Amino acid sequence: MTDQESRGSSDEMILTCEGLTKAFLGVKAVNGATFEVPKGKITALIGPNGAGKTTVVNILSGAMTSDSGTTHIGSTDVTNWPSYKIARLGLMRTFQLSRELGDLTVLENLLVAPKHQPGESLVNIFLRPSLVKRVECENVERALGILQTYGLYDLRDNRARELSGGQKKLLEISRGVMASPTLLLLDEPMAGVNPALIERIGGYILDLKAQGVTVLMIEHNLNVVEKICDHVIVLAEGKTLATGRLSDLRANPEVVTAYLGEVINASTHS
Amino acid sequence: MSAFWYYVFTLLFFLFDYFILAMGLNIQYGETGILNFAYIGFVAIGAYVTGAVSMPDSAGTGQHYILGLNIPFPINLIIGGLTASALALIVALISLRRLRTDYLAMVLISLSLVLYDICNNFVPLFNGADGLYNVPEPMAGVLKLTTNSFVPFFAGVAGVVALIMWFLMSRITRSPLGRTFRAIRDDAGVASALGKGVFRYQLTSMLIGSFYAGVGGGLIIQFGGSFNPSAWLPGETFVIFAVIIVGGVGNNIGMIAGSLLVETLLVHLPAFLPSIPSHPGLIEYVDAMVIGILLMVMLWFRPQGMIPERIRRSPISASTPLSSVTAVAARAGAEPLSTVEEGGAS
Ligand SMILES: Nc1ncnc2c1ncn2[C@@H]1O[C@H](COP(=O)(O)OP(=O)(O)O)[C@@H](O)[C@H]1O
Ligand SMILES: [Mg+2]
Repeated sequence: MTDQESRGSSDEMILTCEGLTKAFLGVKAVNGATFEVPKGKITALIGPNGAGKTTVVNILSGAMTSDSGTTHIGSTDVTNWPSYKIARLGLMRTFQLSRELGDLTVLENLLVAPKHQPGESLVNIFLRPSLVKRVECENVERALGILQTYGLYDLRDNRARELSGGQKKLLEISRGVMASPTLLLLDEPMAGVNPALIERIGGYILDLKAQGVTVLMIEHNLNVVEKICDHVIVLAEGKTLATGRLSDLRANPEVVTAYLGEVINASTHS
Repeated sequence: MSAFWYYVFTLLFFLFDYFILAMGLNIQYGETGILNFAYIGFVAIGAYVTGAVSMPDSAGTGQHYILGLNIPFPINLIIGGLTASALALIVALISLRRLRTDYLAMVLISLSLVLYDICNNFVPLFNGADGLYNVPEPMAGVLKLTTNSFVPFFAGVAGVVALIMWFLMSRITRSPLGRTFRAIRDDAGVASALGKGVFRYQLTSMLIGSFYAGVGGGLIIQFGGSFNPSAWLPGETFVIFAVIIVGGVGNNIGMIAGSLLVETLLVHLPAFLPSIPSHPGLIEYVDAMVIGILLMVMLWFRPQGMIPERIRRSPISASTPLSSVTAVAARAGAEPLSTVEEGGAS
């Protein structure tokens, strides 16, 4: 009952995966993960370290192939598609350890993102320079607007590798946003980030939801999950342990033993 | 023409030619991150084909070669460039799609050796170890050039070709295509996650760079009138790598600086020095050592090269007033105007 309620029964699923498995040298990192991500909502993917959350995101985004199982975006079967094809369907992801395009500037990092740029074709560069220039100007303007929003405007001409850890997290999100995603997978967007910035990033994610973007985020900070996430998926030992609202999951003894208890203990110690 | 000017124009020719070769390797390695250790092989194919298509039918020349179509300059040169690109297409389709760049590098080294052995030993192709000679001097007939006046003339031609190719290359590297190449170089996984079909772009980069290799090779065979396997030992690839690393990977202007220092001053100038009678060949060895030491010193102290890759600053200036930036920001749901710092439009 809780599950249906938390999503609302009319919810449309934008991403579904079933029975995903992935083993590394015989160790099953993902072992039958099955869940759905409701469209237009913010969904949290939580679970202990090593539960396979990042591996699931890698599989969903096409960075890795799964050993078995299926993935659908909308009604399209994208199982084991290469990542660039999945990206073109509107799925963008960030990385747990930021992967900025280091020698490119902050602005250039964003400018790479738009799909189907006429200036990426050799023919257009030489035969349709005005089209290339026009689209480029539009993209620059939009990118500067996004950088403004994310507080990176003044750093636009810095090489991306010179940014601080928190700034790199912001850059990854804004680069994803620049690609006009319908679905954004964020792998621990707030890890190692100061409290004020956590607050800001939370605000950005809510703004994205307001603009109609579906978000799936891996997050350890349960206060954040409580505040901004509509729906929670708990992953443990590569399996989906439970799904629902956080308040309901807190009452689930299995979830408490596997994860929540551990987090509550950890937070009282720190 | 005095020997002095002959040397000067020869050096100029090699300066221009290596500028072209360096630009080609730079787009592959410097911009896209493809370690093409077979680069000299593409130069050689361009040279052989440019020469062979401009020569008469091989019957009666005392040489064995394919083609022999009497095609004039500059069409022969373009054919040479395109043939090198065609070879790159085959190599890329076989190896680039499946291999990580480090494995690809090893495959390309082997390819370089195989190509070398084929050209050196399979005589009917390009006359084996003797190579092609008596290659027609382009336009020498039309312009009534003598052997003496041909050298400065063709150095000038190479300069013009280099200028055109620099213009074309800078259009490419400044474009969104060039930016996507650099994104792939920095992190191919990220580029792919952003929707870029990495293989397609690497292939494009290979084709462009190989065209430059082929044209550079085509100019060499026409300048000297001959070309044989001793001119393109597989290790020669590393001289071109030295040119681009010393010059500044990712910067086209750096390519001419590297070409001047490594190729002109270190490789070719010493060849004109009188040899030391008691130690013939000593200069060459010292030369190779100097290049190696220079490369190590550069990598240690200035890995970005003499003229490093530019930071491509945002094009906002008077043409993009800050107001339009904030307007976009507002549309994207940003905070109100008051948060906009002044001095943004630098
Ligand atoms: N590329 C890899 N090679 C080998 N083992 C891996 C790899 N990626 C993840 N693993 C292993 O898989 C398990 C799940 O990792 P991960 O998905 O990163 O967990 P989480 O993100 O939930 O902390 C871990 O035991 C990890 O060591
Ligand atoms: Mg993880």
